[in-house]
Amino acid sequence: MIPQETTVRAEMRAFIEDNFLYMHPDVELADDEDLLTRGLVDSLGFVELVEEVQGRYAVEVQDVEITEQNFGSIDAIVAYVERKRG
Amino acid sequence: MSGRTFAEDLSARAKSHREHTALITPEGPHTYGELDSQATRLAETLFELGVRRGDRVAMVLPNGFSAAIAIYGVLRCGAAFSPVNPTIKRDRLAELLTDLDATSVICDADRRELVDQAAESAGKIPVIDELEGSEDADAADFEAPLEVDLAAVIYTSGSTGEPKGVTLTHRNMTFVADSIIEYLELGPADRILCLLPLSFNYGLYQLLMSIRVGATLVLEPGFAFAGRTIALLGDEKITGLPGVPTVFQTLLSLRGLSDHSFPDLRFITNAGAALPESAVAAIRETFPQASLFLMYGQTEATRIAYLRPELVDAKPTAVGEAIPGTEVWIEDDEGHELGPGETGELMVRGAHVMQGYWNDPEGSADRLRPGRWPWERVVRTNDLFRLDEDRHLHFVSRRDDVIKSRGEKVAPREIEEILCLAVGVREAAVVGIPDRLLGEAVVAHVSLDPGTQLDAGALRRLCAEKLEDYKVPRRIDVHSELPKNSNGKIDRRALVTEAETDAP
Repeated sequence: MIPQETTVRAEMRAFIEDNFLYMHPDVELADDEDLLTRGLVDSLGFVELVEEVQGRYAVEVQDVEITEQNFGSIDAIVAYVERKRG
Repeated sequence: MSGRTFAEDLSARAKSHREHTALITPEGPHTYGELDSQATRLAETLFELGVRRGDRVAMVLPNGFSAAIAIYGVLRCGAAFSPVNPTIKRDRLAELLTDLDATSVICDADRRELVDQAAESAGKIPVIDELEGSEDADAADFEAPLEVDLAAVIYTSGSTGEPKGVTLTHRNMTFVADSIIEYLELGPADRILCLLPLSFNYGLYQLLMSIRVGATLVLEPGFAFAGRTIALLGDEKITGLPGVPTVFQTLLSLRGLSDHSFPDLRFITNAGAALPESAVAAIRETFPQASLFLMYGQTEATRIAYLRPELVDAKPTAVGEAIPGTEVWIEDDEGHELGPGETGELMVRGAHVMQGYWNDPEGSADRLRPGRWPWERVVRTNDLFRLDEDRHLHFVSRRDDVIKSRGEKVAPREIEEILCLAVGVREAAVVGIPDRLLGEAVVAHVSLDPGTQLDAGALRRLCAEKLEDYKVPRRIDVHSELPKNSNGKIDRRALVTEAETDAP
């Protein structure tokens, strides 16, 4: 079953909140906000994020796809997963 | 032609190769001429603030053009720079500024508030955050430093967790830069990709050496998006890739990496921590045309040893021999030199050996020992090594319990002290657990006072508020009791073993 866009969005938000945002209790993260420049996710965090996307949605993330355009914000990740799942 | 100081290198290059690209940042390219003018302009500003030869100026900046301007601006006005990790927290910074007796602090707009607060409590130290400007500075009469003057104070974690400021003269720094330039055969055609923070001396030297030889440095804010790194290697025709094991392990884990070829990549260097043998083999296979240099160093002497790349397949666990122009040997506890096969402490001799720790005569006396001449001092590394039959160095272990995570030193005691600040924490022990990406992961174990409820998330948050990012434990385990050895001390070895068997 292919998850709906809204499901991916909710799941990714939950993952980011559980794994990264609890360190920043005062931050209200918008879906289009840049995870890196806001200092919420660091380089290793993105490795975890990529692994989560690969595991949860069974998509093969190619090395050159690990970019800000595809993983920089919740919006970016949702769009990327949708695109990969076609 | 290299100058006597790094500031002279930049002036000379700006005269002879004004339009050559010195730096490429995500914002675009910057020429030698541009870097030179901006550095002079900052030097003017610092001079007006009263900064003079020998004064210390701290910089709290992420990688970028501003950081390069800051380093060369401070040097040009004759002062010494102190690069601070840009994720430092307020109280730590205030302590550091006080210890350094800083005359000024340079930061960016994002860090202005934090730096202002720290600078205020450290004695109203002036803060600068406007670095790039349009007007060219007048040629001012800065008092040029001598080679024996202080050039930098670089803070590193001591085993007690107190940051120690390693003091380096211009001569210390240009000497070691030239030694590394010699064995890497760096030249003006090189294009080096720097993903490492300039606040970390391995990253800092990428900039200093690149400018010294007139090369181009592609300076990234970090290593967040591996896809970008792969693209840069090709698009920017990168010839040199310095990294720590975390960088290489992340790259090697990517899907599709082996489909690319990187014909321009001439060399790869590893330092900060040892690469596992499997990673050495994987790098050789993925980047067959690149020479791989396995290196060892510490801030106290910058770079100490390197393995000639033609030996890497035969000796993937060695760090080779002393860098050019220096000597190393291994000693037992009584100071007797040891031969091949025996394990002892690595000792280092050469013009790269630090002058001591800033404001810390006791710490300095502990690490610097009398040398061959009345004026000479050698540094003991606190690291245990052994020599093989060809007299190549092999790292054995550290003497203290300092953790190496992402190539940087983390003192368990510093984190334990923070954890013990939390109401309800009875005991805390922080250990390093082998980790594929990090080298060692910082893992904390705490026991609580009876009847207290504290979750690991809250404790991690406390650490994140007080410590630089790389020191924040990846995991915190809450126990009812911490294991003890027969002396009643916390049994760290048991905690490491337990974590290793728990690992997924």
